[in-house]
Amino acid sequence: MRHVEQVMGTVVSIELADDLPEPRLRELIDSACAWLHEVDARFSTYKEDSEVSRLQRREVDLADCSDDVRLVLERCADLWRETDGYFDAYAKGPLDPSGYVKGWSVEVASARLAAAGSTRHHLNAGGDIRMRGAAPDGKPWRVGIRHPWQADKLAWVLAVSEGAVATSGTYERGAHVWNPRTGAPATGLRSVTVVGPDLAVADAYATAALAMGEPGLAWLAKRVAEGYESAAVTEDGRAFTSPGLPVAP
Amino acid sequence: MRRSTAAAVGTLTGAALILGVRLSVQPPAAPDAAPAAQELTEEPAPAETSAAAKKPAAKESASADKKKESAKPTEDAGGLKAGTYKGKAVQNPYGTVQVTIKVSGGKVSSANATYPKTGFSATINPAAVTKLNQETLTAQSAKVDAVSGATFTSQSYVTSLQAALDAAGA
Repeated sequence: MRHVEQVMGTVVSIELADDLPEPRLRELIDSACAWLHEVDARFSTYKEDSEVSRLQRREVDLADCSDDVRLVLERCADLWRETDGYFDAYAKGPLDPSGYVKGWSVEVASARLAAAGSTRHHLNAGGDIRMRGAAPDGKPWRVGIRHPWQADKLAWVLAVSEGAVATSGTYERGAHVWNPRTGAPATGLRSVTVVGPDLAVADAYATAALAMGEPGLAWLAKRVAEGYESAAVTEDGRAFTSPGLPVAP
Repeated sequence: MRRSTAAAVGTLTGAALILGVRLSVQPPAAPDAAPAAQELTEEPAPAETSAAAKKPAAKESASADKKKESAKPTEDAGGLKAGTYKGKAVQNPYGTVQVTIKVSGGKVSSANATYPKTGFSATINPAAVTKLNQETLTAQSAKVDAVSGATFTSQSYVTSLQAALDAAGA
């Protein structure tokens, strides 16, 4: 069963491939969507009354925030360290953990689906995907990586059963990723895709590498040891992949 | 081994030691320093000389110091004898470092250094860095279950490949 939900300023496509009765699949999809809307309400910087907005305005202390907010901010701090400062929830000034929240919320949604009995599904939140088990045809999910210049073409096709695929690029919303060290828009890389076990981490790594520019290629190579493979395209059209990238046969 | 070649090996060994020690005492290199680490992998020198030409362009942006060091001997050389030369294995407080250079067409075509992999040294030296492979960017059409790309907004979703997929699957 497939479903498309508008939430968090983007579109989330959900597909459950489980052999379960239709009403049950519908219930599972509904509960996943309810969770994503709950996250949006609590974390959106566009919503005046969200926990994050109130924290930004110092109306609440971090100590009074929910466990989820504290967990997200802790993980943002960890990732700031792990990416040498290139993943920065304060890149634009005020606190904006959106770069972590989207991946994390989908990661949690997928874990909850699994706990509730859906072991074969994928969720695609605006181009960042978490998947489990086998696709409807019984094989691994086939994930296309969008070509960075041709919107209707794919640069790579991956085969993934368990894990996450996240892409950051400058082609969709222009130069919206900043190099926190220079304050200038990120240049050098056009598109970075990271494949690994956790969507929030994969997403943060892709964003950090994009912010680094071409030195990000060497930085991505080191993430392989942590279980994160990558594919990147430079602004002048050179393509790079890590040796273990799960390219579909 | 000709004197000029020996000089080249000596210079490179020196350079590798400097770089090796620098890498050894630093925490994992920051991204700016990363290309230097990328060049000093533990991979043996490629077997065919053509492999050198095929190396990722990213490598060309590698450490400037390193480039200077390898350019110098080539200038004075005036035609080195082709072959692979191993430098003397040099002990330093962090372990043994050995440099290998390849000469072809009268020039040093590649230089590699090995670092200790075991024991105390391994905890100091950065792990062998896996390089990203350069390949040709393709533009393909294929049947897929989902499309990964830079985050689209609710507005731009409408024109995306994912939207077409969702419409087809619904």
